[in-house]
Amino acid sequence: MTDYKKPLPAISTLNGPYWDGLKQRELKMPSCNDCGKLWYPPAPFCPECWSRNFTWRQLSGRGTVNSWVVFHQAYFSSYKDDVPYNVAEVELEEGPRLLTNLVGIANADIVIGMSVEIVYDDVTDEVTLAKFRPTEQ
Amino acid sequence: MSDWNLKDQTAVCGVGHSPFGKRLNRSTIDLGGEAIRNALEDAGLNKNNLDGLIASFGTPIGADADTLAYALGLKLRMYNQTWAHGRFTASCLQWAAMAVKAGLANYVACLASISFSGFRKPMMGGASDNEGAREGGGGHGEDPVYGMTSPGAGSALIAQKYFAKYGATSCQLGAVAVAFRKHAALNPAAMMRTPISVEDHQNSRFVCEPLRLLDYCQINDGAACVIVTTSERARDLKKPPVFISGMQGLPAGREEFIWTHPGFGVAQQSVFDYQPELQPVYRMAGVTHADIDALFTYDAFSILVWSALERWGFCRPGEAAAFTQDGRIEVGGALPINTNGGLMSEGHIMGWNHQVEIVRQLRGECGPRQVANAQVIQWANAYGDSLIYRR
Ligand SMILES: [Zn+2]
Repeated sequence: MTDYKKPLPAISTLNGPYWDGLKQRELKMPSCNDCGKLWYPPAPFCPECWSRNFTWRQLSGRGTVNSWVVFHQAYFSSYKDDVPYNVAEVELEEGPRLLTNLVGIANADIVIGMSVEIVYDDVTDEVTLAKFRPTEQ
Repeated sequence: MSDWNLKDQTAVCGVGHSPFGKRLNRSTIDLGGEAIRNALEDAGLNKNNLDGLIASFGTPIGADADTLAYALGLKLRMYNQTWAHGRFTASCLQWAAMAVKAGLANYVACLASISFSGFRKPMMGGASDNEGAREGGGGHGEDPVYGMTSPGAGSALIAQKYFAKYGATSCQLGAVAVAFRKHAALNPAAMMRTPISVEDHQNSRFVCEPLRLLDYCQINDGAACVIVTTSERARDLKKPPVFISGMQGLPAGREEFIWTHPGFGVAQQSVFDYQPELQPVYRMAGVTHADIDALFTYDAFSILVWSALERWGFCRPGEAAAFTQDGRIEVGGALPINTNGGLMSEGHIMGWNHQVEIVRQLRGECGPRQVANAQVIQWANAYGDSLIYRR
């Protein structure tokens, strides 16, 4: 775990609760207590009504594949052994879309619209990434 | 609407560029200086006339405006600079037009001067590209944490969704690359002049699937410059003025994703049936699509041409794939696009080489790739910024 060489998130005051949530196996996003809007990426006020009165709400972790790509070029040396690897954009049940990697599926089998669910990947002692796998039928 | 109407009040009076090439081994100040000098000469001006400078691309890949002024011995009354990237072209020209009209400067040189090869490590995509680590994410849709890097990947997301949504194919996208290469073959300044076929496109390797190498622009060095002044002054100079008739700056917000139009549903965009309507730039210029003799668009990746055509209403959503076939976007076709060869074949000067070509087309200087009787030409991007020029 300590020899993880891939890029790690820049954790800030803004997105700290998001990464803390993943570490605790909870997918959390800011949700407005005034108008109900839920948003991502984290922002310090509701993009709908500008309220600062929000809470970090736990989400279901379920969604569908909105689009996806396969990297054939290793832009990072740490990804050299992974190419061709996928990156997908998952649309969560609650609305926001997340970039992620799909696991437990061959790239050739990925289809837009397929149902997926979250998998927590502890890549270092501090960082847990949100990845997604096909939903068990 | 403002009562300060800028329609045709300002004009481009001179254009110039440096050589474009993969490894020119020249500094960005050197390249920028050559582009400015050539544009001044084209206008019949000298460096003492130049009192305004706008750089669209500064350090680290480009030359900063103040650094250029220092190196070239310019005495500026105003200068400005955008954040790096190609989507600020229309905004730069908008600011230049406002500046000369307001009397802040008489002649404003607008340019990008860039060197991608001057760095040991790639500056776009990968470990030495910090954009994806910005608070709130990268401007192209990057997230390095999941290996999502490089501007091409954001547009590959669009291409994948476009193919699935409309049944379009990579072969159809190949027609865009083929058309621009055909144009480049007629352009002595272009870097890539060997014609290609759709088969060549299909045989080129995937970079970020579904986009292939021949869906990507060049990564190169070079500089291009246009000089803006009032129409009144421009009429007294060496070359005929090319008027800036309409302008529309860069939009931003959650409904915008740099590589597509609103409603498409990537990043945090809502999903809705986008209905292209008459954009303010057409109203300002007093023209419609039917008046546009040629279209220029930011073509860092082939799919962006489809996005632009649909955003601006040249065709309906889902129709761009068919629209770009059968030579329709080539010189001699119904809507020639990027007659210089574009970023994909002439070279990547952030779209500034496109502005140079537009001006030359409207002056009738383009020889074998000249669009017959070109009167009105539009620069219009997938992201929603635009300029309409007329002779
Ligand atoms: Zn709210």
